[in-house]
Amino acid sequence: MPMQVRELTAPAAVFALIVTVVLIGALVIPFVSGGTTPEVTNLAAGQTNTDSVQITPNTEEGNIAVDGPGPGESKTVLIDKAHSNRLSDEKLSTLTNALVKSGHTVQILSREQARGPAWNESLRSADAVVIANPTQPYKSGQLAGLEKFADAGGRVTLLADPAAISVGGGLLGLSIQESSAQYTGLASSFGFAAQSGYLYNMHEYQNNFKSIYATTPAESRNPLSQGIDRVVLREAVAISTASAEPALNTVDRTVREPTRREATYTVAATSGNVAIVGDTDFMMPTNVYVADNEVLLGNLATFLVSGNKRPGAPATPDSNGAQNAGTSTGGAIPTAPTAPTAPRPGDGPSPSPVPESIIAPSE
Amino acid sequence: MSRNNDSSAGSTNTFYIVAVAAAVVVSAVLAPVAYDYAQSAQSEGTVSVITVSGVITGSKVDTLSEDLREARINDSIKSVVLKVDSGGGAVAPSERLYLEVLRTAKEIPVVASVQGVSASGAYYGILPANETFMLSSGQVGSVGVIGAGGTAPVPDRIIRTGPDKAQPTTEQRRQQVESLKRQFVNRVVEHRGENITLSREEIANAKTYLGPRAAENGLIDQLGTLSVAIDHAAEMAGMEDYDIARKEPPRGGLIFFATTVDGQKMIYKQQTSNDAMAIPVTQPLAINEIPYHDPGMGVDANASA
Repeated sequence: MPMQVRELTAPAAVFALIVTVVLIGALVIPFVSGGTTPEVTNLAAGQTNTDSVQITPNTEEGNIAVDGPGPGESKTVLIDKAHSNRLSDEKLSTLTNALVKSGHTVQILSREQARGPAWNESLRSADAVVIANPTQPYKSGQLAGLEKFADAGGRVTLLADPAAISVGGGLLGLSIQESSAQYTGLASSFGFAAQSGYLYNMHEYQNNFKSIYATTPAESRNPLSQGIDRVVLREAVAISTASAEPALNTVDRTVREPTRREATYTVAATSGNVAIVGDTDFMMPTNVYVADNEVLLGNLATFLVSGNKRPGAPATPDSNGAQNAGTSTGGAIPTAPTAPTAPRPGDGPSPSPVPESIIAPSE
Repeated sequence: MSRNNDSSAGSTNTFYIVAVAAAVVVSAVLAPVAYDYAQSAQSEGTVSVITVSGVITGSKVDTLSEDLREARINDSIKSVVLKVDSGGGAVAPSERLYLEVLRTAKEIPVVASVQGVSASGAYYGILPANETFMLSSGQVGSVGVIGAGGTAPVPDRIIRTGPDKAQPTTEQRRQQVESLKRQFVNRVVEHRGENITLSREEIANAKTYLGPRAAENGLIDQLGTLSVAIDHAAEMAGMEDYDIARKEPPRGGLIFFATTVDGQKMIYKQQTSNDAMAIPVTQPLAINEIPYHDPGMGVDANASA
């Protein structure tokens, strides 16, 4: 027995010695050679030019001022919603608030009030019309009535946006929808055309290449340009016109998608009693005080209420309209006896439809 | 006696045969080890080839950061090649990848080799590479950021502590996306510096370029395949003979599911890799394509709706 123990002692001692040497070595080597943790420099801070990536918040100041036609004189502004017009209540709220605050009346024109002869009758009771992004075309009778309305001194404002692209979820998955305004007939009858695509500027813009700046042409006497240094339009279309007077032009190096040509594009113009603005986003409550947008909205409201429309125009309904009136269902024409508008000479006798009066929604 | 002799000669022969056979077996096992040892003794170091593919996400960058850190601290790894095929991903992981690559490139040579696409966030990631190679059919660029303009309105019954809580305005989003874009463009200009012939605005147009044009305008350095990139990386580290160590991303697992059709059992398998995953545009993304953007599908849906 003791023989066996003595035989095992020597190998066990060798084993223990080897293990001890290896472990001590493993412990000592890192102390001698140093740790493996590399030095860490703060690259993220060093690689960031804080000044150049900081965005200056937009200053939002100023007031929407509507210069009335005269004390106590109230005008009626009709807003076309009869042609599936693409204009949110939010955008509309700033304009209606400004008009209502200065003592004017705003009426929304529904589909029934634009049918057949009711269209002309609705126009007859109004002093100005706002038409934004209609997605249904105007009938020839409606266009004729509108032209007569403008010829008689009624103010017409057209608002145009680029085609809207929206994504919707349906039974068949996601769908992309593009809805563009049916403007061609309407705008061209007043000598304007809204060009396709949107405007952008990669050099001078407000926080996004589509948020372009527009300024007034030198020595402009256009009523829409008064008091404006520059406005910010979030998504604008270019207006082509042969005879109209430009009110706002884009700044240098503005490009139109999809042609990508650099040019000075007109984004707002007037021609007699008709004004056109190639953007509606400037009316958004969140955008309306940015740059001089509030001045533009004020000018637009002032333009709407400073016309001198001949009472009772468009006087005679066009022949088409009269025929339609004969054949159409009588119920479609509202014949309420009282009009919410202030009665004016010439308005009284005509059976005017009653466009729904609105209380301006809060901004 | 002679019988004895015979038997002893026979057993000697058997020992010889066993010994020879054993020797052959042992040397067959040991020879490759010796060969490898001799070969790696000649090798002056290792080029680590790290694969960057698919949508750049936080977890993917976690793995890539580990690989890059290993390359930095392992003395035998003398240079790194990034083998890239990605259309980008979320902005923050892309910036993390950029910073990790930058940290590595400050210590050892880093060469990028674009296999197919290296756009948006993936291009952001390879900016600090010392040299960039791609194929003439590959695409790089798309320097920009996309993000949702606003959030869904929070219902009235939800209580929030401030007007911006969980509901940034469109203008705030616009400013954030613009800030991220400026950062991205700044870094492109900084790293491509003298090579690039595009203006800041041209870079920010976010176009993708094919290899020949990208080599011309300076978004990359030259055309070349992965093996050229590896050789270049070795050369930059001063190695003529080198080993290659490949770091592949973990493969997604397979999901099997079975169904019975007309009495026959069908088994389907599906890769669970998140590479083909469509990421919703809720946070700012540095991505080349929105996967679900399919106008053709929209037309069909409209037509039948």
